[in-house]
Order: sequence, then C-alpha cells, then structure tokens
Amino acid sequence: MSELASTTVTKKRVKGKVAAGSVIYLLVALAAIFLALHTSMPAYTRNLLMQTSTYAIAVLGLTIVLGYTGQINLGQAAFFGLGAYGVALGTTSFGLSFGTSLLLGTGIAALAGAALGLTTLRLGGHYLAMVTISFQTILSLVLTNWISLTHGPDGVPSIPRPVRFQGGNAYLALCIAVLAVVAYLVWWLRRTKLGRALQATRDNELAAGVVGVDTFQSKVIAFALSALLGGLGGGFFAGGFAYISPDQFSFNESVVFLTMALLGGCRLPVGTVFGTGLLIMLPEWLRFLKIIYLAVYGGAVILIMVFMPDGIFGYLAVLWRRLRPAAAIDTAGLAPLRLSQQAASEGARTLLKVTELTKHFGGVKAVDGVDMAVQSNTVHALIGPNGSGKTTLLNVLSGIYRPTGGRVEFDGSEITQLKPFQRAGHGLGRTFQNIRLFGDMNVLDNVRVGADRPGNVIEDGLAGDPVERRALAALEFVGLANRAQEAVGSLSYGHQRLVEIARALAGNPKLLLLDEPGAGLNHVEKDALVALLQRLKEHGLTVLIIDHDMRLVEQVADRITVLNFGRHIADGIPAEVLRNPDVIVAYLGKVNTNAAPRA
Amino acid sequence: MGIALQLLFTGLGIGSIYALVALGFVLIFRATNVVNFAQGDFAMLGAFAMVILAVELGFSYWLSILITVVIMAAFGALFNLGVYYPLRNRTFLPVIISTIGASILLENGMLAAHGPQPQSLPSLFDSPGFSLGPVFFDTQYLVILAVTLAMVVFQYLLFERTLLGKKMQATSQDKEMASMLGIPVAWMIMITFMYSSVLGGLAGILVAPILFVSVGMGSSIALKAFAASIIGGFGDVSGAIVGGLTLGVVETFGAAYISVPYKDAFAFLVLLIFLLFRPQGLFGEKVGEKA
Amino acid sequence: MRLLELENVTATYGKVAALHDLSIYIDEGEIVTLLGANGAGKSTTLRVISGLLKPRNGSVRFLGQTIAGHSPESIFRLGVAHVPERRRVFPGLTVRENFLLGGSNRRGGTRTELDADAERMFEIFPELRGFANALGWTLSGGQQQMVAIGRGLMSHPKILLLDEPSLGLGPLVVEQVYKVIADIRRTGTTVLLVEQNANMALSVADRGYVLETGHLVTQGRPAELWDNEEVRSAYLGGGHAQQA
Repeated sequence: MSELASTTVTKKRVKGKVAAGSVIYLLVALAAIFLALHTSMPAYTRNLLMQTSTYAIAVLGLTIVLGYTGQINLGQAAFFGLGAYGVALGTTSFGLSFGTSLLLGTGIAALAGAALGLTTLRLGGHYLAMVTISFQTILSLVLTNWISLTHGPDGVPSIPRPVRFQGGNAYLALCIAVLAVVAYLVWWLRRTKLGRALQATRDNELAAGVVGVDTFQSKVIAFALSALLGGLGGGFFAGGFAYISPDQFSFNESVVFLTMALLGGCRLPVGTVFGTGLLIMLPEWLRFLKIIYLAVYGGAVILIMVFMPDGIFGYLAVLWRRLRPAAAIDTAGLAPLRLSQQAASEGARTLLKVTELTKHFGGVKAVDGVDMAVQSNTVHALIGPNGSGKTTLLNVLSGIYRPTGGRVEFDGSEITQLKPFQRAGHGLGRTFQNIRLFGDMNVLDNVRVGADRPGNVIEDGLAGDPVERRALAALEFVGLANRAQEAVGSLSYGHQRLVEIARALAGNPKLLLLDEPGAGLNHVEKDALVALLQRLKEHGLTVLIIDHDMRLVEQVADRITVLNFGRHIADGIPAEVLRNPDVIVAYLGKVNTNAAPRA
Repeated sequence: MGIALQLLFTGLGIGSIYALVALGFVLIFRATNVVNFAQGDFAMLGAFAMVILAVELGFSYWLSILITVVIMAAFGALFNLGVYYPLRNRTFLPVIISTIGASILLENGMLAAHGPQPQSLPSLFDSPGFSLGPVFFDTQYLVILAVTLAMVVFQYLLFERTLLGKKMQATSQDKEMASMLGIPVAWMIMITFMYSSVLGGLAGILVAPILFVSVGMGSSIALKAFAASIIGGFGDVSGAIVGGLTLGVVETFGAAYISVPYKDAFAFLVLLIFLLFRPQGLFGEKVGEKA
Repeated sequence: MRLLELENVTATYGKVAALHDLSIYIDEGEIVTLLGANGAGKSTTLRVISGLLKPRNGSVRFLGQTIAGHSPESIFRLGVAHVPERRRVFPGLTVRENFLLGGSNRRGGTRTELDADAERMFEIFPELRGFANALGWTLSGGQQQMVAIGRGLMSHPKILLLDEPSLGLGPLVVEQVYKVIADIRRTGTTVLLVEQNANMALSVADRGYVLETGHLVTQGRPAELWDNEEVRSAYLGGGHAQQA
C-alpha cells in the first residue's frame, strides 16, 4: 500500500497545482463577466471587446488545427462566415431561434471542416493550403452571388440576439463567458489522449503512425473542431453586430485570423486570445499611423516568423521553462513494468513470418523475395552491408511502405496490408535509426503516446490514470522516470534513444523492432543498451534488431538473418553466420584476383 | 463557332498572364521549395510602376517598361534577402506565412503610398485591333500572347542552351550536390528570385491596360496562378505554362456559358478536382508513395 | 608538404559524435582508402574534407592551407572534387550536361576547352557515348557511377574523394568501376577512396585506414591489411579491436 501511496502523493501534488490554477482561472473569468455586465462603457469600446471575444473563439480553432496538429488552415474565415450566416439567415429568413440557428450554423461549419479534413488523406503542406484557400474563395463567391439566399453584397441586417441577452452589456458578458469556457476546453484538450495524438501528428507524423496514432483521423477531427469553433465565433459575431456582409469573411480575414494566432503563440490558448486582442486593439492605438498600419502589420508578420516563430507567449513559455526547471517525479512507489511475454510456458512459436517479401522502387529491387521467421522469446538480428535492404524491410514490416509482393504474418494474423497504426494495435513496436521523438512534448507525454496505442490493455483496477502509470513504469524500466517532466530536447542522445524504447515498451509490444539502436551511441551508452536488451530478453520480450555493430549483435542475438542486394543469404546462430564465407564476402568483398596487392 | 473561337483567343490571352505569374512562382519553388504567396503582388508592383512612370511622370512608354524591369529585378533581390534568406533553413510553414506577410506589406504599402483609387494604364498601341472572320483580335491580347511566347522561348534558351541555365537547374535539382561542384548556390537562388520578379512585373505591365490597376489585383491573379501550377503539375515548368493557359480558357468559357459572377469559382473548382483526384497535375510526378 | 592532412578531427551531427580525434594524411599521387563498417565515419570524413560538415575540433589542411570551416564552393575551387555516396547525378540533366557542370566552376578555362574535356570523358567511359543526351534518372546505377566519377574529373582536381563507388552495384559493374579507378591512378590524380568493400579497395590502394565507430583502429599497406583479423573484426565483430 505504501508503494502506491508515494505515487498518489506525487500525483496529488501535481493535481493540486492544476486545480489551483483552474480555480484562479474561474475567478478571473467570473470577474471579467461581472465587469462586462456592470461597467458602463461607450458603444465603441463594447464593440471592440465583442469583436475580440468572438474572433478569439474562432482563432482558438486555429490553435487546435495549426498549433496542436500542425496543419495549415487558410480558410478559417469561411467557417466563421458559415456560422455567422447560419445565425443571420436562420433568424431573419427562417424564423428560427438564435440558439437553433447557432447550432445549425456551427454544425454546418463542423461538417465542412470535417470534409476539408478528409482531403488530408492524400495531401499535406502546400496542397492542403491550396485546398483551404480554394474552399475559402468558393465560399466567398457563393456568399456574394447566391443573392436569393444570402442577400449578396447587401448583407443581412437586423440580426436578433437571444431573448435574455438583448442589452449590449448582457451580450458582451455572454460572449466573454462562452470564450472563457471554450478557452478552458481548448487548454484541457492538450492533456487528453486526443490532444496527445494531435501533437504527435504535428511533431512527427511518421513516428506517430508507427506508435499507434491514427493520424488521418486526428487530422480530420482537428479540422472539424477548428471549423466548429470558427462557426461558433461567427454565430456570436453576427448576433453582436446585427449586420453582416460577405466581405467580412474573405481570404483577407483568414489571413488576419492566422496572424492573430501566430502573434500570440498558436500553441497556447492564452497566447491566442492575447494575440487576437492585440491585433484588434493595435490598429486603434496605431491610429496615428493612419493608413500605413496595415503595411506595418504585414511587416510585423515577417518579423515574427523570423525572430519569434512561437509567438509572444511561446517565447515567454520558453523563458519560463528555463527559469523554472521541471519538477522531478518521485518514483519510489512505481509498480514495475509489466511486459506481455512472461508466457514462456506457451512454448516457442513463430511470432513474425515473412514470406517472399518484395519491395521495388521503380527499377530498383530493394527487397527481393526475402523469407524470414522470428521465434517468440528470442532476439533476432537482421544484418547486411549498406544498401542490402534492411531498413526497407523494416519499413515494410512497420507498414510505412506497401510491399510489391509477398506476405507478412504476425502472431498468426496476416498484416501485409495494414496501416502502421493498426500494426501497433496488434502489438508491433518500433524505434527508429534517426531518433523520432515528439520534440515539443515532454518525456512523459512522449511515452504516454506509446501507452495510448489501440488495443493496449492497461486497466489495472487501481485509482488514478493507468496510462500515466504505465508510462512511468516504462520510463523507470529504462532508468529515466525521474526526468519525466523534462523536454525531450534537453536529454542527451543516448537518453533520447532510451525514451524512444520506453515509448515502444509502454505499448506492451509482442515484438519490438529496433532499427540501429546503437547508432550514435558511445561505448558506455552501448554497454548500457546491451544490458537493457538482455533485461528485455529475460522478461521474455521478442526483439528484431538491425545494427552494424557486430559486437553488440553477438552479445544479444539468438539468431541472425543476413541480407545482401535485397535477398537473404544466410540465416542461423551467430557463431555460424559470422564465420560464413558468403557473409564475409558480402561485407568485405571478394578477393580481386586481377589486381595484385601493392607491397 | 465564331464565339467559341473568340472566347478561345480571349481565354488564351488571360491564360498567358496566369502562365507568366505561375512560371515565376514555379521557378522559385523549384529552387527553394518555397510557396511564394506574394508572387501576384510582383504583378501589382509592375503595373503600378508603369502607372507612376508612364502616366504620372510622363516618361515614354518604352523607357517606363525598361525602368520597371530594372526595378522589379532589384525588388526580387530585396525580396530574397528580406523574406526568404532569413528563413531558408526553417520548415515550410514559417516561410509560407512570411510570404503572406510580405503580400500584406506590399499591398498595404502601395495603398498607403498611392491611395485606394484604381488607376488605368493606356495600351502601348493606339489601334484597338483588327477582325479576321468572326474573331476580333484585340491588340493588347495579341501583345500579351506575343510577349508570353517570347518569354517561353527565352526561358527555353536560357535553361537549355546556356551554362547559367544548367547551373540554375542543377541548383533546383540537388542544392548540396551543386555546391559540391563549386556552383554558387546562393547566387543561383538570387538570380531565380530576380528573374521571377521580372516575370511577375511583366505580367502586371501586360494585363494593366485590360484591367484596372488596383492594390488587390495581384492577389486574385496569384491564387489563380497557383491553381494553374498545380493543374499543370506542381513544380513543373512547362506545366505552369500549360496550366495557366488551360485555366484562362476554362474560366473564359465558364463565364460565357455558365455564369459570369461565379467566373472565379471555376478556377478553384478545377483546382479542387485536380487536388482530390490527380494532385500531381497533368505533368507532375506522383505525390506521396507511402503506404 | 602533404597534400591533405587531418589532425585530431572531431566531428558531430547535432549531438551524435561521428568522428573522434581522427588523424590521417595523403601524399600527392597516392590512392588511400578508408575502410570500415557502416556508421564508422568514413563518409563523414569526406564531408569534413569537402566542407559540407564543419569539424568541432582539429585541423584540416590542404596543401598547407587550413580549409576547415570554409564553404564547399571555395574548397572545390582549391582542387577538391567530391563524388558523393549514391552518386547524385542530376536527374533532370543529360550525361553531357552533368559533365559540363563538373568543370564549369573550375579556375580558368574557356567553353571550348570545357566541351573538349567533356568529349574526353566519353573516351574514358566509352559505354556512355550512346547515352550522351540521356537524362540522369534514366541511367543504371553503374552508368550513374561512371557519370559521377567523370563529372568529378572534369574539374581537373588535385584530389578526388570517392564515396563508396561500389554501393548498390552488381559485382561485374564494380569490377568495371574499379578498372576506371586504377586508370585514374595512372594519370597521377590523387584519390581518397571510401569503401565498405575492403578487398576491392585494397586491390587498387597504396595505403589504407580502418575506422570503427569514428575512431581510427588500424592502418597500413594492403599487404598488411589483407586477411587482417583486425579488419575483419572491425566489420564483423568477435575480435579485439583497439578502442581509442
């Protein structure tokens, strides 16, 4: 009981901080609402505040899709417009209540966002930017030209407010309240499983997929949520200003939203709200600059990108982290990591079976009809000279490449056509030769993503967060639990390698694929790695390892498969394989009988 | 039949403008992997320079064109140094956003300098054109087609016949390898920006007599030029030309036979169709190959 | 004065140390080979020499002049030609254009001389003559290797850095490539040859260095390194290689 007590105490301390912060936030929000209700202010100021709060709701959508998920969205104003016109037309043309119209507008926006998100299946980067711009432009044209529905350029006047919030102050208070709730939810999202999935997709999409994140689904959800918030903000905007017209929802406005997100720092809700407020107030303060202020604004965007790409609050957050180093976690009470394969009683079986596997790239046969079988509870090494196809084979096993031919069977199921995250769901874990950690998440969150993988059985009947417990246990196994709260970038290369392994272990893999785990490690770190591998072996884990360091391979491998020119040329126990003349020739080359060695 | 031919002529004319802007945009992309959202504003700058020089300051048309080309080249260099160079090692997102910022800066800077009133630029030639059968050949459109053809030929000769052109191609195909052969990569990129800027400026000079010269004219041309380069095949030089011409024709026919107000939507509808079903465009390589 | 000298060079990629305290040299006219398994630091050594990677510590001197930290373009102009791993022939340019570019930035020389030099390349690589106007991406691996080597020779370099010319090539093609390398030797061009295929490399080299995880573990003439247990263990383990 005392073991668990320490962990609980630690977590209570952290939870305590979060709870205190939430209470403060609640008080601040209530104070703002109170002030809005009871301060008399000129209509002009009230309008600015209303614009700020409704815009901020929309820009928080960009926090989700751009800040958390890393997807570019240049059409946020279109979703804003869908929400606005939903409310405007719903109330004035169709006689619906404000609430129903808001629901309608927001819902349509969310659906449109999801549809846009679906395009990310095959597109990313510039192409995605173009899709969002196209959507934005087409919508602007429809709003302007479908006069029978939207009233065209004349716009929609006399938009009513909800019955209980007719007065200026009351409506403002409502907007602020909604903003407060939305901002809190966006902040909270970051800490959820979905939030981690989004951030993993942003930081390293390839690794995220391999580790078990359905990155496509994450992107669709991100777009849908972003559009939903855009529509929500737009709906309240319409009610606030009572009149809307198409030119308020153009591409230029999308650019404005983007700038607001970037200025404050698109990853932090507080930054987003700050950036929005700043950019709405700034033109007022810069009035004296008159017409140049927009030009200055454009120049400012360039400067922000060059000098402060994380925005003002992003920059402050980095400073904050430097001043207050992360708290160490008390690890005394952690239960040891449970790995699935203490099932030595089951007897040996073929866990991974590769049959006639082929992968061609154009004319190049990177993998050419390879057969390989990995037995459970063994460490199996895959070696071969540079260019022999090892990494390609591993990538086919992970699902990153689709094979040209052949089959892959894992624990009795055929997985040849499965996507990477689905293979993770079957219990396939993997690390990468060039370490692929999620650079903007801390150590613990990185490992948590591993534990989040579909099909991972972690429910242990205890109180608290089983995912966190599992992640901490995995970190403890590799000896890094005390550094769980640190940013991954601050760790040494060798330690980063260990975090990657912990991430895979947190997913309770049946088979662990290690791609050159020794690469870049010094002797001390390599010895530690060998010890870790031997411990994993003792726990009964099955491992497939690629490495060039034969000393390392000799110490851990039960069986070795050798590839050359995409084909397997030897397969057996280390002692035999490493003395096999074909293998020696593959590495060192044939003795050239034509040229005599120079004395 | 006569109408169709007329529309074809007009469509090719406006398509040539898109092609010129798209060409400049694709060249920058190939050399630096940057999507330049301010490419259309190069056209806007060229048009305004002509207005200021030829109309307000009263220089001769040809002299104004010459000065404008020089200004655009210098501007391209400035753009390279100020917008691309500081961000050359970052991921694509900061760079795209930076070019968006440049676009805002340029448009509003010009607005501040010259006011919001749209300007007009007279055509170089006095005669409005001539008729041949059912088709009326507007002089300005003929000029556009002629200049575009000349630029395409120039482009071909530059890239295929000169060593400089080969060096520029090498830089865009493999920057590091080019530097290993002693090719001054930073200079190649500078030249690319300058040349693209001139192409954009030329497009502006050519289209100005047809449209009004306004600070926003660049944005709409740019968006369509991007669409054109994707339709032609992102990153492919001949694709930019074909894509631009295709888009101009589709748009013109669409406006005439389907609907005028939604004219601009056709470009984006076609683009969306390509993005969804054939993102590599007409000539490009397959986009993405992972499982 | 040595043509090329590295002294106590340490180089890193971010946090990963790739070379530790490496000291090697080459005299004019030699063929020297760098051997070792993948990840030993061979390619890194070439990248340090040609200026693609700035060393953390140590000195790199070419004809007595320090070149560490200089740009690849300026080091190229001193007479260092780097033929990289996997060849990197410009895919959208023809064989002839690739050759021309190889010589287009050397000191001096007119266009006519450049064209003449390119013609000469087709005499050295007669099997490429039919492919003079073929685009780089259409060529086979062996042909690309010939083009890459020819492109390197076009600048009349004082030293040619060859990175794993046999990589990914079938045994017959490898023999052809090595015949060319032996011919280059005869023209007096100094060559620093990086190879995994130790025996092939030792068949043309005057001297060899053996690297293991960034350290120099042994060196000597081919006769000494031939059938050397240390060399084999550097690749395949099971030996007692020294650890610097």
